[in-house]
Amino acid sequence: MELFDCNCWYGVPKTPPLAPAETVDDLLGELGRAGIGRALVRNAAIWEESPEVGNALTTADCARDERLEAAWGILPPHTGELGDVHEFLDAMRAAGVRALWAYPAKHRYLLNATAMGGMLEEMQDRGIPLFLHRREMPGAQETYAVAEQVLADFPRLHLVIVAHGSWGEDRLFRPMMARYPSFAVGTSRYELDGGIEDLCRTLGPERLLFGTNFPETPMGGPILTLLHAAISDEERELIAGGNLRRILEEVRL
Amino acid sequence: MINDTRLAEEFVAHGRVDDCPVIDTHAHFGPYQAIYFPRWRPERVLDTMDRCNVRWLIMSAHAALVDTARGNREVAEIVAAHPDRIRGYWVINPNYPERLQRELDEFDAHAQTPGQASSPPAFVGFKFHPNQHGVPLNDERYHPALEYADARGLPILSHTWAGRGMSSHAEVREVAERFPNVRLLMGHAGYGDWEESAKVARDHEHVYLELTAAYSVRGALEIMVEHAGSEKILFGTDHPWFDPHYGIGCILSAYMTDEDRRNILHRNAERLFGLPLD
Repeated sequence: MELFDCNCWYGVPKTPPLAPAETVDDLLGELGRAGIGRALVRNAAIWEESPEVGNALTTADCARDERLEAAWGILPPHTGELGDVHEFLDAMRAAGVRALWAYPAKHRYLLNATAMGGMLEEMQDRGIPLFLHRREMPGAQETYAVAEQVLADFPRLHLVIVAHGSWGEDRLFRPMMARYPSFAVGTSRYELDGGIEDLCRTLGPERLLFGTNFPETPMGGPILTLLHAAISDEERELIAGGNLRRILEEVRL
Repeated sequence: MINDTRLAEEFVAHGRVDDCPVIDTHAHFGPYQAIYFPRWRPERVLDTMDRCNVRWLIMSAHAALVDTARGNREVAEIVAAHPDRIRGYWVINPNYPERLQRELDEFDAHAQTPGQASSPPAFVGFKFHPNQHGVPLNDERYHPALEYADARGLPILSHTWAGRGMSSHAEVREVAERFPNVRLLMGHAGYGDWEESAKVARDHEHVYLELTAAYSVRGALEIMVEHAGSEKILFGTDHPWFDPHYGIGCILSAYMTDEDRRNILHRNAERLFGLPLD
């Protein structure tokens, strides 16, 4: 079973985590120690500086090791910083990028149909997943309200919320998973005892994506939790990497 | 996988290690206001314990954070049903001083497992939650309970968190110096103020760092081991909030020896609470 981490990063943010991973080599060392075979990766410059800078850094660093796959950040097309929608998609195709992140709070835009409609429509049609970090916006209620509106307007979009907090958020994300078949969550902070097992039983294993939230969180927690969750080996394989591999393989650029 | 030591190899392969039992020193019982729990009922708790080789679990009732009398009674009943696996903390709510003296008197009556007079006490000590109850740890409203515990050398598990004025390392240090016989467990290891909290444990033989949630901050464990030593760190999970495998996995990821990990997972709690591991 190959672990495919959907949520890890490296770089030099303004306020570093307690144990930083400043370079891609730091990240690679920890992936090797933990036994994680593949990772969807982003450089902190994407959200701390700008996707204009961070996207290119991420692509350059990920080219150094086949375990790494670059993910990029997005901005509203109206300001043209990343080109128009089709220019941006062309750049993604050229760089082999198949997953995107949005940081609407840090980058000061509205993640909705008005600001991002053209981009989100293309992402929905092309199967490109969009990742949101739960703590990027100030609170759980706000994050899920934004996500709910995006999914109401683009119900086939692969929207993934990662790193929900230790105050369990099942009451927030499970109703959305029930309504929107392409909505998924990451396991990096899914620490709830029996959570993975209970969610697989009620909503199936297809929309849980293994992640570590490294370097903020140790890799061992989400690994051991998944390895010994009371689920079938087939379900475990999907969560460990099968679901993410399927989503990425189905992206049409 | 996770690291290359024997403990990691065994936990990864089997989810438990027979010669490395776990004592969970920070657990709860029952549903709670802001979170859904699939595994809070006793039979599910015991199943989780077996899967991870948690030999002992020491719990307080969520209900006791609200209504101490009802919640503490719940835990007494659970311990009576599972005296070989579970112990309790007696929750103190300092907002009801008129009830506090009566409840301290009751603590003595509940301090033996019902029907098993020769067994260890059902309650090993007190649980404080300054943040939930809105009363700083060093507030005099806690003094009756602290004086009671100090006279008997009881353990007290207190929620501790960064941010002066409620339950930070500063309040812990003040209480530790005033009540030197209380064995004070810093729940969540003073979350956020890692080094300062570890120094309180280093400076006071009777102060310990408890790891619930703290283990999920990469780098925090190494700071605690460096400044307080692995002999002052206790494992806990807030169960049913968190899967013990999550906490164990984080400890396996931390840069320390397997001897440090064994200290944290069971040796220190075995010594502190006198709970048998056979």
